[in-house]
Amino acid sequence: MSKKKKDSSPEQAANTQETAQAAADTKPADDFDDMFDFDDDPLGATGVSRKSLVIFFLIDTSGSMKGTKMGELNTVMEELIPEIRKVGEADTEVKIAVLTFSTDVKWMYSEPIAIEEFEWARLSASGVTSMGAAFKELSARMSRNSFLNSPSLSFAPVIFLMTDGYPSDDYKEGLKELSSNSWYKFGLKAALGIGNEANDDMLAEFTGNKDTVVHAYSGNQLAQMIKIVAVTASQIGSKSMTLSDQNDAELSDEDVYAAKQKMLGQQIQELVNQNDSDDVSFDTGW
Amino acid sequence: MTELSIGQEVELEYGGKATVAGVIGSGGQGTVYLVDYNGMKWALKWYDISKMKDPAAFKNNIKKNISDGAPSNKFLWPRYLTKDMPDGTFGYLMELKPESFDSFVDILNTYRLRVDPLTGRAVKEPVRFTDLKAMVTAVINIANAFRQLHRAGKSYQDLNDGGFFINVDTGAVLVCDCDNIAPDGANFGIGGKPGYMAPEIVRGLAKPDVQTDKYSLAVVLFKLLFRGDPMEGEKVIKDVCLTEAAELKHYGAEAVFVYDPDNTTNRPVRGIHDNVIKFWRMYPDYIKDAFIQSFTAGLTDPNKRIIENEWQKLFVRLRTEIISCTCGRTNFTSMFEKQDSTTYRCPKCGMTFATLEFSNRDYRMPLYIGSKFYECEIDDNSDDFISVAGELVENKLKPGVLGIRNCSERSWNVKMPDGKYYDVLPGKGCPIWQGLEIDFGGVTAKI
Repeated sequence: MSKKKKDSSPEQAANTQETAQAAADTKPADDFDDMFDFDDDPLGATGVSRKSLVIFFLIDTSGSMKGTKMGELNTVMEELIPEIRKVGEADTEVKIAVLTFSTDVKWMYSEPIAIEEFEWARLSASGVTSMGAAFKELSARMSRNSFLNSPSLSFAPVIFLMTDGYPSDDYKEGLKELSSNSWYKFGLKAALGIGNEANDDMLAEFTGNKDTVVHAYSGNQLAQMIKIVAVTASQIGSKSMTLSDQNDAELSDEDVYAAKQKMLGQQIQELVNQNDSDDVSFDTGW
Repeated sequence: MTELSIGQEVELEYGGKATVAGVIGSGGQGTVYLVDYNGMKWALKWYDISKMKDPAAFKNNIKKNISDGAPSNKFLWPRYLTKDMPDGTFGYLMELKPESFDSFVDILNTYRLRVDPLTGRAVKEPVRFTDLKAMVTAVINIANAFRQLHRAGKSYQDLNDGGFFINVDTGAVLVCDCDNIAPDGANFGIGGKPGYMAPEIVRGLAKPDVQTDKYSLAVVLFKLLFRGDPMEGEKVIKDVCLTEAAELKHYGAEAVFVYDPDNTTNRPVRGIHDNVIKFWRMYPDYIKDAFIQSFTAGLTDPNKRIIENEWQKLFVRLRTEIISCTCGRTNFTSMFEKQDSTTYRCPKCGMTFATLEFSNRDYRMPLYIGSKFYECEIDDNSDDFISVAGELVENKLKPGVLGIRNCSERSWNVKMPDGKYYDVLPGKGCPIWQGLEIDFGGVTAKI
């Protein structure tokens, strides 16, 4: 990473030489006279530097999502924001980015928005399912130079995919590109299949395992599943991992590899099993 | 887990029912509800027992803590256990945090979020200590609370920023989340919060106990004073993404203190850790040395960690060494100029401050209107750092004449400007002059 942490914008980078020269001219910091030059208010603190977490929602807005599915989704997403706001607390600054895909791939906002300021813009559905293109777009944005540009430490992002059908483009090619992205590799991935058409095996290819894939067959379930997955994933994602687990031997990198993803899988499965609901399915009663 | 709904009644173990009135918050182990019980509002911590290894042992430990009672009034201690639900879920009642206290988390963030219940919009309200004395009193109180707990043979186990409420006007401290407190050596499953956990716990080599509490205590104290993470510097930031493996490395086997004098690889980064950079320059060496010791030698050797009583003494000294100048500048003596060996000078307005030398310590107390010393400073057997023993005041009948008022409950023997010794009774005072001597009854002081 760059040495000049604060000055990363291009125009400032151009001035680097000048800045370095100016710095060389100033007195050493420990000089006593200099002591009283700087802001020395012992109570004048800024907030502690927080780790950042970006939660990516990848949402299928193809024509088949029209009606109840989109209505439920819009409603539950609006309700979800205040719930996620609670998870970050002192340690983590949580941001939200929403990528929708139908015929085109589109971000809800041009950059991730802090959870305190985030407002859900209601989505509508039409077109086909360009999931592969969405994967490519996500991969392009999940970069230090783009959406993940926080100067301080970041947690690996949470990536939550929601879809009700099979991709109409070559999703494998998109996924291949995404898989080479380190943020994706270390990220917490979860997927929600909506209705009977959604293919859980394909979704497991995206998340890396079946435990973090859930399915909703009804409106009630859809709302429940989105909440369970989004809240659990952001809770786990926004906190450091409690690594110790009554081991008697020293933990190694392998012991902790993907520990959060495993934990997410376990918790989602536990919660899903408690929430079996029996109302009318999306695909029946038409 | 069994969730509770508003209006639901929960039976308590020794009779009576608490009625759920709302949700206060939720955490890793369960949810805290607001409840009515016997005409009063209480907090009910309600567990998710599916996340517990041994709920029965955990519950027994709380029961034991309830019967032992709190080590002091600084703890929001468990008060009443509930009966078990049919599925085994249980909880306990504790007193509510008073309105006048802010959470440690909000103090670190420098704001609290006030959420409008109707729109869900959040507004930030600033949170900061009213004065420097209140902040230093808060760290004295935190060190003292853990000293009391450890003296009761117990360890807190899960010491972190979620565990305290602080009154920013007075520095009063309330320790909450007391349910993991266990006899030293026992552990009921909690590991702790990363960033606060001792490296040997992070590495999987130890379980929480009094020694690991001492490490976490040093982190909490560092965060409150320096407003940053003692282990997060250049080396950690370089990794960009804090993966599980990165955490294991930077908070475990390869943890490096940001101001380790022998290892400069992890210095704070300007633009990210500005607080730490700024405050590290301001604090006196004895405070910095204590943190260096805690986070270098104490990193790997628990016996090298600073004990609570030592912290308490250091912070009592730090409080004594605050100068509030009439020009408005308030800071530690380390940030004032020294005119000569016994006089400080304000670098902003030039005002000078005489100092008082005490027989029981090797640092001098600066004198300014409102400066105070406390019981523990004039009586070596006292642990009372709250009761004011003496205060520098202006004589009400002779404006411009400054003196020390005896706020203690015992009589002092004082050498007055006429060269003779007089008894100064509680409530009386003596002028300050070059040659002043005070005998507090054992401990003495002179200008």
